[in-house]
Amino acid sequence: MITLRGLTKRFGTATAVDDLTVDIGPGQVTGFLGPNGAGKSTTMRMVLGLDRPTAGRALVNGRPYRELRHPLHEVGALLDATGIHPTRSGRSHLRAMARSNGIPARRVAEVLDLVGLDGRAADKPGRALSLGMGQRLGIAGALLGDPPVLLLDEPVNGLDPDGVRWIRRLTRTLADEGRTVLLSSHLMSEMQQTADRVVVLGRGRLIADAPLAELIAASPAASVRVRGPEPAGLAALGARLTAEGATVTAYDADGLTVTGTTASRVGDLAYELGVRVHELTPLAASLEEAFLELTADSVEYAAGPAGGETR
Amino acid sequence: MSTLSTVPPNARPTSRPAPTTGPFAGAVAAEWTKLWSVRSTWWTMLAAALTMAATAAQLAIYAVNANTDDDPAVNPGVLPVGDIVTGSLELTQYVVLALGLFAVTSEYATGTIRTTLRCTPSRGRVLLAKAVVVAVVTFLLGLLLGGIGAAVAGPVLGEWGRAPLAGTLGDVAASAAYLALVGVLALGLAAALRGAVLTLTVLFALLMIVPLSLQEPGITVLTRLADAFPGVAGNHFLAGDTEPYPAAVGLLLLAGWAAAALALGRYALARRDA
Repeated sequence: MITLRGLTKRFGTATAVDDLTVDIGPGQVTGFLGPNGAGKSTTMRMVLGLDRPTAGRALVNGRPYRELRHPLHEVGALLDATGIHPTRSGRSHLRAMARSNGIPARRVAEVLDLVGLDGRAADKPGRALSLGMGQRLGIAGALLGDPPVLLLDEPVNGLDPDGVRWIRRLTRTLADEGRTVLLSSHLMSEMQQTADRVVVLGRGRLIADAPLAELIAASPAASVRVRGPEPAGLAALGARLTAEGATVTAYDADGLTVTGTTASRVGDLAYELGVRVHELTPLAASLEEAFLELTADSVEYAAGPAGGETR
Repeated sequence: MSTLSTVPPNARPTSRPAPTTGPFAGAVAAEWTKLWSVRSTWWTMLAAALTMAATAAQLAIYAVNANTDDDPAVNPGVLPVGDIVTGSLELTQYVVLALGLFAVTSEYATGTIRTTLRCTPSRGRVLLAKAVVVAVVTFLLGLLLGGIGAAVAGPVLGEWGRAPLAGTLGDVAASAAYLALVGVLALGLAAALRGAVLTLTVLFALLMIVPLSLQEPGITVLTRLADAFPGVAGNHFLAGDTEPYPAAVGLLLLAGWAAAALALGRYALARRDA
């Protein structure tokens, strides 16, 4: 369980995280979304006690990170910077981490095995690790203490398709075991396949905190596709929909794509107007579309006179 | 706003082993592991050994030359080899203190500081653990360097040297203590300043430049002020002086500087974002 209460971080006059209050609960994968500079990494760093909040609190299982005596048993984290010394081997890196928290040395071999790093890769110095190997090593470090809470910042960065699938399965398994998994990614398609719930930030503010399915369903980007053999009838249907406030986003000889309405409404209207219809398909928005809608609003809001953010 | 999950918090099927050590012992063990798993530690020790051997040989040659030239006014006579060892520290310390310096600056340079602070979030605990490891390693290295210095100085001095066992061992132990405290001083300053170059510059100023400048004019007040600086205090301790204060006070002054640097470093670590 991660609890953020009025969490705020200012760097000089710039506000990176603005009065963020949200709970990230166990048993599900929570996607952490936002454009670059939205404050995702800063929030994660405050949860991990690396950055000091300007105001508010970030708690892990009810306690501030800096008060944890054996934090690796409580929280595992992968930060975007892999953070390994160029001449230290991955194995020594993990061994030092394990020792700091009283974790037996055999657990190092276990997590190396778990993330698929063999003996040769684990003995390579940090500078010889590829981005993908670095990510796997970072995830090994996150799992070292078998923690109930995991924070993964862009975990699929640098991974090949196999690695991406592996992360997807791993995060699912971890969440199904009842752990709290917070996952940031700029790959919306990836998030759509992984997250159960999403927390969206824009300019440091909370924009959305909802189950993924709900967010996508509510998106204005959801649309309806209509196809039929009568161009004139389709044009009339399009005009009628536009009059009702829907938007025709595509129109060609054999079909229309409409947003801002529902498939049932389009079907009813077609019946009313006597237009023959061969296909009527509701198209769900992608997370990416839903996300762009949400963050576009936040940019407009923040840039307006009420935004109060100055540079 | 938030939908509660059906899974109760922290209900997990896996059972994790309880920590086998306390957090401070763990932090010390981690620092020890980190120190010996990078190559720079070994290079630093090798460089320190070579610097000590070369400096001790050079000082011994100077002493022999001064005894055998025509000017009896600067004739140092028969010297204890321990004097050559302690004299060689003036240069060798700058190599040894790199161990304290790197323990922090390399973490900031490579980003491993974030891993370190995630493993040991208490800033005081992590810095104290580093101080213990740096002090132990620089003390043991100091004993080794003292042995090397005595082994080199003895044969070079020849008839102009003497090596009473107790006196030489005392000088070697004092050298090791001096290096350990200077190592911790470097560690504390590095934690406060973060960068290697800046920290080294400040160390040069504290150990050499400022006290030398204060002593230069020969004005009593300024000389007394210089006596309070860590390098000068350490030298009074190494030389076994009784003036301007007893040798033990010199040791305490140096230890005070090291403790103050650690306190400053802890303050900076706690305040600053990592």
